[in-house]
Formats: sequence, structure tokens, C-alpha cells
Amino acid sequence: MTGEPISLRDVAHSTNEVAAATLVCLPKMTPTRLRVLLHHFGSAELALRAVVAGQLGPETGDAGADVRRAWRDRADPDAMRRCLEARGTRVWLEGTDAYPIIDAVPDRPAVLLAEGHQPDVLTAPRVAVVGTRTATPHGLADARELGAFLAGEGVTVVSGLAIGIDAAAHDGAIAAGGGVVGVVATGLDVTYPRRHAILYDRVRSLGMIVAERGFGVGPLPGLFPIRNRIIAALADVVVVVEATLRGGARITAQFALDYGRSVLAVPGSRRNAAAAGTNALIADGAHPLVEWSDVLVALGMTAAGTPRISTSPSRPTPTPKAQALLDALGGEPGNPDQLASRSGLSPQEVAVALAELDRAGWTERAQGAIWPC
Amino acid sequence: MLASVTSATLLGVDGQVVTVEVHIASGLPGYHVVGLPDPAVRESRERVRAALQSSDIAWPPTRITVNLAPGGVRKTGAGLDLAVAVGVQLASDTLPAGALEGIAVLGELGLDGTVRRVPGALALVAAVARAGCTTVVVPAHDAAEAALVPGVTVRVARDLGELRACLKGEAPWPDPPAPPAPDGDDEPFDEPLDLADVRGLAWARRALEVAAAGGHHLLLTGPPGVGKTMLARRIATIIPDLTDTEALEVTRVHSAAGRPGHGLIRRPPFRSPHHTASVAALIGGGSGRPNPGEVTSAHHGILFLDELGEFPPRALDALRQPLEERAVWIARQPITLCFPADFVLVACTNPCPCGLGGPACVCGEGARSRYRRRLSAPLLDRFDVRLSVGSPEPTDPPGESSASVRVRVEAAVSRQRARLAGTPWRRNAHVPAGALERLLPLAADAQNALLVETEARRLTGRGGARVRRVARTLADLEDSPDVTAGHVAWAGQLREDVP
Repeated sequence: MTGEPISLRDVAHSTNEVAAATLVCLPKMTPTRLRVLLHHFGSAELALRAVVAGQLGPETGDAGADVRRAWRDRADPDAMRRCLEARGTRVWLEGTDAYPIIDAVPDRPAVLLAEGHQPDVLTAPRVAVVGTRTATPHGLADARELGAFLAGEGVTVVSGLAIGIDAAAHDGAIAAGGGVVGVVATGLDVTYPRRHAILYDRVRSLGMIVAERGFGVGPLPGLFPIRNRIIAALADVVVVVEATLRGGARITAQFALDYGRSVLAVPGSRRNAAAAGTNALIADGAHPLVEWSDVLVALGMTAAGTPRISTSPSRPTPTPKAQALLDALGGEPGNPDQLASRSGLSPQEVAVALAELDRAGWTERAQGAIWPC
Repeated sequence: MLASVTSATLLGVDGQVVTVEVHIASGLPGYHVVGLPDPAVRESRERVRAALQSSDIAWPPTRITVNLAPGGVRKTGAGLDLAVAVGVQLASDTLPAGALEGIAVLGELGLDGTVRRVPGALALVAAVARAGCTTVVVPAHDAAEAALVPGVTVRVARDLGELRACLKGEAPWPDPPAPPAPDGDDEPFDEPLDLADVRGLAWARRALEVAAAGGHHLLLTGPPGVGKTMLARRIATIIPDLTDTEALEVTRVHSAAGRPGHGLIRRPPFRSPHHTASVAALIGGGSGRPNPGEVTSAHHGILFLDELGEFPPRALDALRQPLEERAVWIARQPITLCFPADFVLVACTNPCPCGLGGPACVCGEGARSRYRRRLSAPLLDRFDVRLSVGSPEPTDPPGESSASVRVRVEAAVSRQRARLAGTPWRRNAHVPAGALERLLPLAADAQNALLVETEARRLTGRGGARVRRVARTLADLEDSPDVTAGHVAWAGQLREDVP
């Protein structure tokens, strides 16, 4: 990542931006309180001046007297400017050129904080790839493939940096060298989940991480569904790869429909609990995504024309017994007992053939089952 | 005016010979017990005096001192009562001197002079036999157990008066009571279990056989309702009977734990403690006199832990020593006791707290990873066979019956016994890594398969050794003289990574 720090130094902040960031980072600040403040005073600078002067009243939002006092004591624009410069954080105000949500969707954040080395990724077409955290190996593979496909077409992949589908989509796009945007529910200085520290670094170097909350805000459960509206708003098209019936991905899809974005869903087996949400979306009218290039159609693009090389790696042809097991799986997950009973092979024959399939990469183990790849 | 009587007390699951010395001296009437007695032993005074008086035997109105030697060992329980009572009579010259030459006395006294059973009779009699006693007087209830010790004449004491007459030669010794007909098995189940009740699950059944035959620890993972527990409980029906030595050890342990038996225990024990069991209940210990825990009760049998993930992590990690060394050492000032704990661990667990696993899971990420952390990697590593069990197909036929599986398991066990004759080990799972090459050799193609398996699964040295032992057991179950590459591949497949 040579040369990257230069782009960080480029970030200069107007007084208004620093004031906005200061307001965002006040304790107990919420998107609604921020919106009311900015609306009432007309600009972040004026609002901050009122906060510091202790001139807030009941008409400037629902913050109580003790919260207003805490705001007055904690507001420190000078420290915030130093912090923004040290971190290279950008402040995007609603209504300015840099603000990435072009259409006035309801509830869009008044201020977005963003960090990363590639702000240009937001000028490209953007597709959100979202899904469940408890994804199946098939779902993860789909998300990874889709991320790579979109990256190859110059499309930026937007997702939420969560485990499961989100991380797989980011991974796929990053591996293909494409642009990525991660929208987090926490503050920009918090890494959640912790095991994604490396993924956070990669997203920073190949794209941007965006947050509407101030520094230091941790992973509180209520923040994630609210965050999902930003993912929907930032994207031109939302693809749901795998979703359970009651998951955050369906919330994202609902926001996307409210905002007039196209929603595509990857269909799955009715036996797969992780596909129940996507299948329900399709039943509700979402477009079933079978060919990745359909995403480009939804974006109004045509494929870049470079014929895609098949992504399936070359594998040795399975022996007849191994093939019998693959047939017995039928593209669905299974367990050895089921395979033995469906294929009629003895347990030992199943074991030997499974060992062969595992080694050659035809199958993989996850969630206590055998998955054909 | 001194008499000494040989008796014994329990030290863990072993007997310790105690010499009860009774000294009667002129002086103010009194009674003192010295030599580390526990409260039950100190209270023997009241029981002994009442029992003697109930049996119309005079209590000497003098100063009585009872010494329990060796003085450094803590004596527990009421099993020394009878020895004290006999010693008092000897010392006060109401019994002929020499009446107890070479005779050891065990038993607890009731206030009416009846003799009650003592826990651990087998271990106690074995101890006094080792100390050179040729005759032992035991409570009627313990006669069957005492008779298991070779080279000892067992005499039965029913009450103090009768015993006195017999010792004086005025009456013949009573016959030992006929062993009570075993009133059914100790099976806590209403219906007899049989493997034929389990449909499908061909792999899991084979894994169960492997555990039963080779002494391999087994972990079954899967959602609730697929038959994990049903299957695991049926391992009790396919393990072979205990050998004579094993049966003696098991009987000794269970007798010492105070579980009344009917002579020799022939079936391997099956213990399934609930997951609220404390560390002391599971491993042994407790304050004061260390007691054997479930791992010792499962000695030479099966320890079944259902819902492994619900056990306290401390208890599970404490299992690691007995799993590795097949014994538990419990240290208490001033002694360290060794309890045997050679068991096969069979455990079932759900993939996550809600049990559904995979995409159907409704647990939070935190709850899921906490649940996973409970089963530490070192513990999981000790399971030779780890298998996830999925739902059986609805069309699966009922499985093989326990009787025919047991024939196969017994054959595999005797193959192992022949192979491991002259070594300290009995099962494939016990063979240490250093002796694998010598005792469980692999042909070239199997060796090759093991290398492939090691590579593909990134097995550690210990993991590889475990695959090798399981492969040998699979071959034994097929009555195959050699381990084939297929057995190795299968053994590898039976060692799944736990999600």
C-alpha cells in the first residue's frame, strides 16, 4: 500500500465539516437529533455555536437538560479537527458535492463520516450484496463469485462488513481488485466483528468505510437495522444472496424497495433455511438472480464483453462410486448416513469415496454436513 | 490386659489394614479412642457399649483405651465397630486368648447387637488377605462379596451374641446366606434397549461399534431429535462382558462407593451423570475423605455425557487427566489417592445453544461462540471419533440388532486381546504413540493413505496416531488381518472437525 498516505493528507476540512463531525461525535447523538439540530439552526457551524453557548432549548430536539449540558462540556472542534486530520477522515454533508447519496431518499443521514484510500469508488455504479451471517457454503461461494464478477465489470460492491455473505462479497471483490464500500453500524474507529480486522484494512485500502455514527460508538444491536438503510441508499441495485426469514438482509431489501432501488435475490432450495428469506423476496416480486449479468441489466449496463473464464477449477474426474455420491447429494448438502442409504454403498465405500471427493475439492464440510462445491 | 484385632478401613477405593488395640487398665471408668478416628469411628463407643449390653455381655467398668494403628491414617466409617467390640471382650478376658489368631473382623454394629454391612467389603477383605489373615468375619450381607477374594475363609457374623458363641467354639459358624437372586438388571430403563430400535444412521452405528470395540472416545454432534442420545445409550448393549480381573476391579470400586451389589459385577458399568454435576461429582474428591467420582464409577465401562456443551467448562477440562492417564489422582493433605478411571467417553452435543445449527440457528453470534468455546480444543482432540449426525431418511429400514453387533464387537475385542497380550494395554485406543509401529503396523498402501489423510486434514502427530488406532479397530471389526487404505480413509472421515 505504497503512496496511500498522500491521499490521507489531501483531506482538508472546512469549518462547517469540522463542526458537523463534532456534532456527530457528541455523546448520545442520534441521526434524528442531528437532523433536528441542523434543520433548526440552518448549518452545522451555527448549531455547534449554539451547543457551546448552551443555547439549546426544547425546540431543538428531544435531548434533555443533562444531555445538553454534556454536549456543551464535550464539544471541542479543535480537538475534532486534529482527530479528523490524523485519521484522514472525510466528512460528507448532505447537499454537498461529495455526499454520495444523490437522490433525496427519506431518512438519509445528514452527515456521513468516511475513511479509505479510494474515494473514487463512489463515482462508479454501486451494487449492494447483502445476506445472512449464517450462510451456507453455497451462499458464501455465490457471494464471492458475484463480488468478483461485479469487480471485473467495474462495479463497486457495497456491503456491511458483517460475517457471512457480507464478508464473502467484499472478499470476492477485493480478490478481483475491484472497489468496495463497507457501511458500518459502529463508529469508524471500532472494528466489529473483531476477527474482520484484516478485512477492514483491505476495504480501507481498496475503497471506503462509511459510518453515520461518531467515533467510539460500539456494536449496539439496534444500530444494525438503521445502518442497513444507508447500504440500500448508497446502492443502485441491491442483491440478496442468502437470507433467513427474519434477517437484517430483508430489512435492507425493504429499504431498497422504499427507496426505489431494484432488488434481486438469488433463489435457493426450499429445504435451505438460509434461502427462505430470498425465496420469500422472489415470491414478493423481487427479480430472481440466476445469471450474474442480470445485475448489469438492472444497472442499465451491458457486459464489458470480456468473455468470462469459467471459475470452476479443474478437478480430477470422480471415480464411479464418488460420482454416485455426488449424484446422491444432488447439489444439496447431505450427511454420510443419507449418502449410504441413498447410494446403496457400504459405509466403508462411502468413506473412501468421500475422502476422494474431499481431497479433489468436489465436496466441502460445513455446518455438520457435506456440501457439493 | 491388652488385645489386638485386625480390621480394615477404606482409603479411596482401596483397603487399609487397621490393627485395633484395646487396653484395659484399672482406674476411673472411661473410654478413649486414639489414632486419627473420624467422628463415625469416635462415636463407636456408644454403639459398641449398647450392642454389648443388648447382647448380655458385660461392659468392663474400667478405663478402656482403643488405639487404631497405623496412627497416621485417617479411619473412616463405622466398619471398625465389630473389631472394637471383639477387642474389648478379648482384653477383659471374656473371650479366650488366641480366639482371633489369623482372623480379621469387619462390620458395623447396631444398638441391638446386629452386625450391619460395610461399604467396600471386597477391597477391605483383599487388604486383610494381603496382610496374611486366612479367615475373615464379615456381615452376612457382605459374604458373597468377601468370597470373591481367593484364599480367605469367610465367616458370617449376624449378631454379636452369636459371634461370641462361635468364637468360643460353643456354636457352629452360621452358613453364609444364599446370594440373593439378582432382581433384574440394574438397568434404569423400563424397556430393554436394542440397536434395532434405531433406524438408518449407518455411519453413526459403525462409529458406536468402533467406540465399543476399540475403547475409542466418541463425540456425536447434531440437532435435537435425530437419535444421538438414543443411539449412544445403546452402546451399553453391545459392549462385551468384563473379564475376571476387570469384574473384580469394577466390583471393588462400586462396593467402595457404597452401592450395594450382589456379588461380582459382570456387565460393564454405564454411567450418565446429569450436566449439572459438579467437578467433584464427576472427577472425584470432595472435602474431607475424597470420594470416587463418576469417572471412577465408569471404570471399565462407559461414561455417557449427554449435552456435553452444557457441562461446566471446569468439569470438562478436569476430564482431560483421566482421559489421558485412565486414572485420577486426588491430593488431600496428607495423602494422595489414586482412583482408577479407565472408561470410554461417549458424548453428545448440539451444534449451538438452540440446537438447530447452520442457517436454521436462531442463536446470536456471541452465544454461539461462547458455546463453542466451552468445548476446548484439547478436550475435542481426545475424541478419536467425532461425527455429526443428520436426520435419517424416512425410508431407512430398522438397523441390525444389538445381539449381532455384539458378536462382531466381541470378536474384535478378542483380536485386540491376542495382539496386545503381554503389554499393559487392552484396546487399540490405549496403545501409546511410541508403540504404534510395533503393535499396530501399517502396510505400505495404508501408510500412504495415512500420509494423504494427514496432509489433507492437516492432522497433528497426535491426530494422525488417533486415525491410525481407529483404522486398526475398523479392520478388527471386519476381522481383517491387515489395515487397508480404505480403513485409514474411513478412520479419517470419522474424525470430523466440530463446527
